[in-house]
Amino acid sequence: MVAETAREFEALEAQAQRLMGVFTKAGYEAVAPAIIQPADVFLDVVGESLRARTYVFTDPGGGELCLRPDLTVPTCRLHLERHPDADVKARYCYNGPAFRFQPAGVSAAHPREFRQAGIELFGETRREQAEAEVVGLTLEAVRAAGLERWGLRIGDLGLFQALLDAIDMPDRWRGRLRHQLWRPDAFREELFRLIRDPAAALLDLPADLVATLDPADPASSEAEVGRYLEAHGLELIGARSVSEITQGLLAAAADAAAEPLSPSAAELIETYVNVKAPARAAGARLADLMSEREIDIESALDIYHERLQHLVDAGIDPALIEFSAEFGRNLEYYTGFVFEIVVPELGTGSPVAGGGRYDGLLKAVGAREAVPAVGSAIHTERLLSVVNGGGE
Amino acid sequence: MTDNLILAVPSKGRLMEQTAAALAKAGLALRKTGSERGYRGEIEGLEGVEVAFVSSSEIAHYLKSGQAHLGITGEDLIREHIVDADERVELLAPLGFGHADVVVAVPRCWIDIRSMASLQAMAPAFRRAHERRLRVATKYTNLTRKFFQSKGVSDYRIVESLGATEGTPASGAADLIVDITTTGATLEANGLKVLDDGVILRSEANLVASRRVDWSPAARAARHHILAQLRS
Repeated sequence: MVAETAREFEALEAQAQRLMGVFTKAGYEAVAPAIIQPADVFLDVVGESLRARTYVFTDPGGGELCLRPDLTVPTCRLHLERHPDADVKARYCYNGPAFRFQPAGVSAAHPREFRQAGIELFGETRREQAEAEVVGLTLEAVRAAGLERWGLRIGDLGLFQALLDAIDMPDRWRGRLRHQLWRPDAFREELFRLIRDPAAALLDLPADLVATLDPADPASSEAEVGRYLEAHGLELIGARSVSEITQGLLAAAADAAAEPLSPSAAELIETYVNVKAPARAAGARLADLMSEREIDIESALDIYHERLQHLVDAGIDPALIEFSAEFGRNLEYYTGFVFEIVVPELGTGSPVAGGGRYDGLLKAVGAREAVPAVGSAIHTERLLSVVNGGGE
Repeated sequence: MTDNLILAVPSKGRLMEQTAAALAKAGLALRKTGSERGYRGEIEGLEGVEVAFVSSSEIAHYLKSGQAHLGITGEDLIREHIVDADERVELLAPLGFGHADVVVAVPRCWIDIRSMASLQAMAPAFRRAHERRLRVATKYTNLTRKFFQSKGVSDYRIVESLGATEGTPASGAADLIVDITTTGATLEANGLKVLDDGVILRSEANLVASRRVDWSPAARAARHHILAQLRS
């Protein structure tokens, strides 16, 4: 599906012009970040999972570079070069190639080289409005390109976080569950671990040492750990200090002392993760679910409804919006609202566009503080094939 | 291309010696043809088989691309170098030598870390304290990524290491490693321990067949003969 004839390329270009026309008219500045990017930034921001999907290479000078797997991180870098403090509100749009290794093989819907058109909105503190603006504009663009039948899938990591916050458990457990949300098997395993005997956290740790540690007295605890290491001939190697090792032991001890997660709370989390329904009905179902269990996530639900209202105000038919609780995109940098535009011809595995909120990304790339950021990208070859009636 | 079966075997080191010994014991004596330093050979008294002497990691590439019908090499190298190994090759028989476990090892002084889960639980604190992810030194980048993903560990960076991997935590080049071990003595000498659930693969030398090669009736017959001899 990569354009390999002049005619196909021209068709893609013509479509890109229409998409970019919609974006620039809405006040988004067209930018063209570099195709070859330092690999380091991507690997630091997204993690090793990215390497499996990215063309990483070493140049003759020994530098580790990559062909950009998307244009969001490059646009973040461009923004920071212009505004090192990232204290300026900005709207960018782009159109250009991105590259991904396809471990399951290259196909028309999953090419190794494809062209993305997209937008990024940085620094807008009216969050739900910004999210609706990005979704609305993305939809306007794909419809201007000729897309007629589509559906909008949305997810909301804010709701999940609110649910975890509302259930009584140590904060570390929340972090772990949040971390594993992307991996259904590991997530279920973690939940199961938390409802079993928490004392298992201490299994195989030196019990006599742990018994001497006192969370209220880090200095003496560290001294105990230092003595233990020395007595057992365990040389301190690597970057972790005695203090960090002590904190690790104390965290395990605290886990062991905590009440296990109640089975009903674990069941509520599982039930939540499986909620999938038209957006309005989903909101109502979540409200019912929570009030039955006397769990208060009202302010997160208010935000959910407010955003939904903004989407409807932007002219989107609510019947076309489906909420899915476990939907969070497979890129870990999303931090809140996420969405995908899906079409019946390709199914949910191959959305024609997608995006969301990623407030941590600019900071990860070098900004001093987290910066509100929302963006989206359109898979332009998929879009063109659907508009041309081809599907695949 | 002839109808001959091409068998790729290790060209040097201990794995070559053990391969030659195992084949000889099965009545399949290897013999180099041409000059003594050549990289071609045959099996004494067996028609239709060409032997290619290749470095062990190259053998995986030969099988992956169909340049050889059969190969003898470690399962670790097969799984590392062929991402879709089960599609491209078939492990016919473990050969009982070249044993090595691919393991995740961390400094022994990390007395708070016993499992992959505790490693992941510690990772965010590490990242806050050191403003970087945990670094994992290895030459097994694909195996590492797959295993860490299956265990839900994502806060790490791979540092490619092509030699003396076990020394990298002490030197500060990495925080933990993924490497092969046979007795664990080298790990221990370098102040490292294997995590309780940190065994990625128990590897040994295998007879491996390519699925990406033309199997003529003659090559198929030679394969059955070699396999039968090795099993007897």
